[in-house]
Amino acid sequence: MKIPSAALHKLQQAAGKENVLTDDISLSLYAYDCSLSRTRPDALINLPSEDSIAPILRVLHEYRIPFVARAAATNHAGSCTALNGGVILNTAGLNRILQINTQEGYALVQPGVITGDLQDRLAPLGFFYAPDPASQRVSTLGGNLAQNASGARCMKYGGTIDHVLEADFVLPDGTEMHFSRRDPGPDWIGLLAGSEGTLGMIKRMKVKILPAAKHIKTFLVTFPSLADSVQTVSDLAAQGIIPRCVEAMDQVTTRAVEEFAHAGYPTDAQALLILELDGSPAQIAQDEKQLEDICLKNHAQQFIPAKTEAERQKLWFGRRAAYAAMARLAPNVMVGDGTVPRSELPRALQKVRHILDEHHIYASLLFHAGDGNFHPQIVFDERNKPDTIRVTRALKEILEACVDCGGTVSGEHGVGVEKRAVMAYQYDTPTLDLFTHIKQAADPLDLANPLKLIPLDYASKARPALPPEPSVRPLAQALADRRQAHAPILIAGANTCLRAKTFHTLSTRPLNRVLEIDKTNYTATAEAGVTLNELFEALRQASVFCALPQSPGTLGGAFASGCMPDFYPHVLGVEALLPDGSYVRYGGKLMKNAAGYHLTHLFAGSQGTLGLVTQLTFKIFAHPIRPVHVYPFVPGRVNPLWRALKTRLDPEDLFPALPGEPYV
Amino acid sequence: MSDFYTPQLDPLHPTRHLAALDTPFGPRAVYDSVSFCNRCGSCQQACPTYLFTSQETFSPRGRNQLVRLITEGKLKLTGENRTLAEQALNTCLLCGRCTQACAGKIPTAEHMLELRRTLRSQPLPRLLFKLLSCRASHPHTFARLVRTGLWLRRIGLLRVARTCGLTHLPGLNWLNHADDILPAYPVRSDRDAWREALADHPTVPTLLYLPSLEAEFLMPSLALSVLHLARQKHRPFVLSNVSSGLFAYVYGDLRQSRRQLRRLILRHGAVQNGTLPLLTDSVDVYLFLRRAPQLFAPWPRWQKKARQFAKHVVFVTDFLPAKALSAGKSARVRLDSGALFAREGTPFDQARKILKTHFKKNFVECLYKDADVPAFGYNFVRGNLGEKICMSAVRSIARTQTGTVFTLSGLSALELSFYLKRFYPQAQADHLARLNG
Repeated sequence: MKIPSAALHKLQQAAGKENVLTDDISLSLYAYDCSLSRTRPDALINLPSEDSIAPILRVLHEYRIPFVARAAATNHAGSCTALNGGVILNTAGLNRILQINTQEGYALVQPGVITGDLQDRLAPLGFFYAPDPASQRVSTLGGNLAQNASGARCMKYGGTIDHVLEADFVLPDGTEMHFSRRDPGPDWIGLLAGSEGTLGMIKRMKVKILPAAKHIKTFLVTFPSLADSVQTVSDLAAQGIIPRCVEAMDQVTTRAVEEFAHAGYPTDAQALLILELDGSPAQIAQDEKQLEDICLKNHAQQFIPAKTEAERQKLWFGRRAAYAAMARLAPNVMVGDGTVPRSELPRALQKVRHILDEHHIYASLLFHAGDGNFHPQIVFDERNKPDTIRVTRALKEILEACVDCGGTVSGEHGVGVEKRAVMAYQYDTPTLDLFTHIKQAADPLDLANPLKLIPLDYASKARPALPPEPSVRPLAQALADRRQAHAPILIAGANTCLRAKTFHTLSTRPLNRVLEIDKTNYTATAEAGVTLNELFEALRQASVFCALPQSPGTLGGAFASGCMPDFYPHVLGVEALLPDGSYVRYGGKLMKNAAGYHLTHLFAGSQGTLGLVTQLTFKIFAHPIRPVHVYPFVPGRVNPLWRALKTRLDPEDLFPALPGEPYV
Repeated sequence: MSDFYTPQLDPLHPTRHLAALDTPFGPRAVYDSVSFCNRCGSCQQACPTYLFTSQETFSPRGRNQLVRLITEGKLKLTGENRTLAEQALNTCLLCGRCTQACAGKIPTAEHMLELRRTLRSQPLPRLLFKLLSCRASHPHTFARLVRTGLWLRRIGLLRVARTCGLTHLPGLNWLNHADDILPAYPVRSDRDAWREALADHPTVPTLLYLPSLEAEFLMPSLALSVLHLARQKHRPFVLSNVSSGLFAYVYGDLRQSRRQLRRLILRHGAVQNGTLPLLTDSVDVYLFLRRAPQLFAPWPRWQKKARQFAKHVVFVTDFLPAKALSAGKSARVRLDSGALFAREGTPFDQARKILKTHFKKNFVECLYKDADVPAFGYNFVRGNLGEKICMSAVRSIARTQTGTVFTLSGLSALELSFYLKRFYPQAQADHLARLNG
């Protein structure tokens, strides 16, 4: 599309004439990222300041011009190419660290700050920022949030989503918003994480910083099979030893790395783990003993601790060289990204190797064993079209195999355009419909990074929607009846927060089963109406623990009331009934999921306004952990995004109206 | 490397270009080499120009993609496109930091030079280019011109011209920067000693010394220090006022560069069958000469000779003893790795090792993003950007409270000295060869 000259003039006024570029060369050089996707935008705007974002978006909204926010463009999914043309908003210049507060443990940053730069600034202060994507030397914090990037430390510390405390955000129509993790209501920051710029633009972020570990010890362990290495990680989690990093590679990768980097990796082992412990010296010594025992129990061939810092660096050098070892072989390296439940990892990796062999593709296989996240690195030459098609097809098959193993098509790289089609393989129509509703609520004109994330024309291709569990059907029926009668309904669990006295209460108490306690993946699945006491009893019988406190109320209430925001990161999967009667399923036993909007964070704290949460999957532990803090119940603070979403999902206010607003 | 048709940047003039680039993974045509860019962006934060502009156009990834698009015929170099392409390529420092950061070791600097040759782009001021070009064609005239210029500067004529504003006339701007960075007129004792060194022709030399332009004409004390180092084990013969071909390689015509290099190879071969080491005091010249074979890819006989020749090129770090310094000196030191084409490899490793051994804990390791001074006359090409980068280097020196910065070329020492004198006089810059005075 051609940008109207009046719009261009207004954009120049908002951003400065020198910052609005429409020349051939600039547009050609903003047509790509690290994926195969290439599309030229119609204009490029180098954002001069964060305050210029809202005025620019207002102009773009006025003239219906699509836009794509782009920072370092290091993503592998084609998330920042302008598929519909329009304007690229370059945030790379917004790279100031505004404040570091070690007392309260946060850093205030602009979205273009390089993650590695923040680490460099924090290191002399004795602090660190936990998410460590492999690209942290070049990727930006804004980009990390938009993609929900994570890295080797994810098992212990979590991903970007868990480390953003506040965010200033601009909706595509130019509305400025401020989100905080402490605000009652849905976890909007969680929803933004991994939204890939499809909901608007990040203007400023407050990120959590942590005191740096003073003592770190790294180990190299080899195993005769992938299954043994994965079982080791599960056993570690069971013993309550959460390593700082758990990195793994298979034999093909070890050989490629060793040939290139000479890091001293044994090449005869089928699997190799790099484990890192941190904490006090006494704690490390204690964990090391247990670690060695667990490794040996799982048939470890070699257990090599790094004795000096130089040895430790050498071990990591090999891991870091894995990409370079492949990059020298062919012009292109396609880095795939899939996640499966940890217990499924050996089966998934076997399938992946089979697919690669079937397509005669040479690839290395790295995986974050702690999260069940793996990265096949496929080398090819994109100038060779048949070769490229073969590789793309193989990658699609790999992702489908992931889904077949109960996994997701993206653990940390995002969906963008490259994995858009396989989203239909992972999700059913109601879930994809909900994604569409979220997108349209924030961006009704489809201007922000259009055509990404959600598959096109998915109705015919999406996974068939399964009916809800028999226990949910009575609730679904009751909901349908109320909808037909145009009568509102109030969802309650044990009624401890709302203390509702109305007849129109729909209780989740019939959903009172603990469905599964999985001690391989360390997850539990329970229905929303189960009381916390019942849940604790079930966990006690299985000798496991969770982060919820001993308090009255139900699991669903603890999740949706907003009283326990620190519990949200523990929730891995959710199932919910929507006001229109559709049933959505999201996540599961996956430690990370970057495919689609984070529905777990949307329903968290939504106070029954958006849907009825019927089932949750959450993390459990082998040892008691400190329970999350319980805040008093406060009605959520309404914002334009919540209002728009409510209007789309529940136009007749079947579920409670937003706090402080009258029923329709 | 590929089995496909390989498009070329300038197919009508193959001799004006390198037939293949020498990469760590074997020779590659420019198009193949540029196609190895996976667009991962690992190079972005290593590039000084990207750090200042935050624009893809001024980043290694952008520059590589630009070359690729032009080679594939997807971008036509006419009108505005040509100007912008020249801007993108001429802002490149050719420093090789991107190559260091790149997993595929893509030689972006070489791609930029190839594009420069295609566009026949001349980034240096015309007068300065003419003056420096005549070193190869008319060495005696060049020597006379430089000496006269230095003498005129000594008697204050240049200062008068600057005061009158004459140096702000179009085409003469470079004189300001030249006046800024040039050192004081060499003292008589140095000039005499250098003259003596030139007159000294050992009957059986064991080493050839190729002094850089700045060492020979501007900093004879540097040249004498290098000679002093060399004389500890060798009987050096000085190849006075001989062009290595680097200037033509970077700013001029590749064919001239080849001619000059061929002449140098022949000259080297003429003494003791080409078995003598050839010492240079500039890391830029060293790196260029080590890459000599890639200039002769279409001529196997010459390539073989160039390979033999390149093996004998040595740098001053090969002569500096790595021994611990006697107690007393405690100022912090660091290494400025500013160079053309590369930032890693033997001379850099050796230099770091020498300084570490000498100064132990007082040696300051540079951080990932610490700037180096732009090499080989970049400040005459892009003064504004060059100044920003130099200032960034000074900031980093001040931050680490460094007392002495050692460089690997005389010109970098001159540039850095000027900025340090102005903005951080507590520190000084010198060539590594003068480590022991």
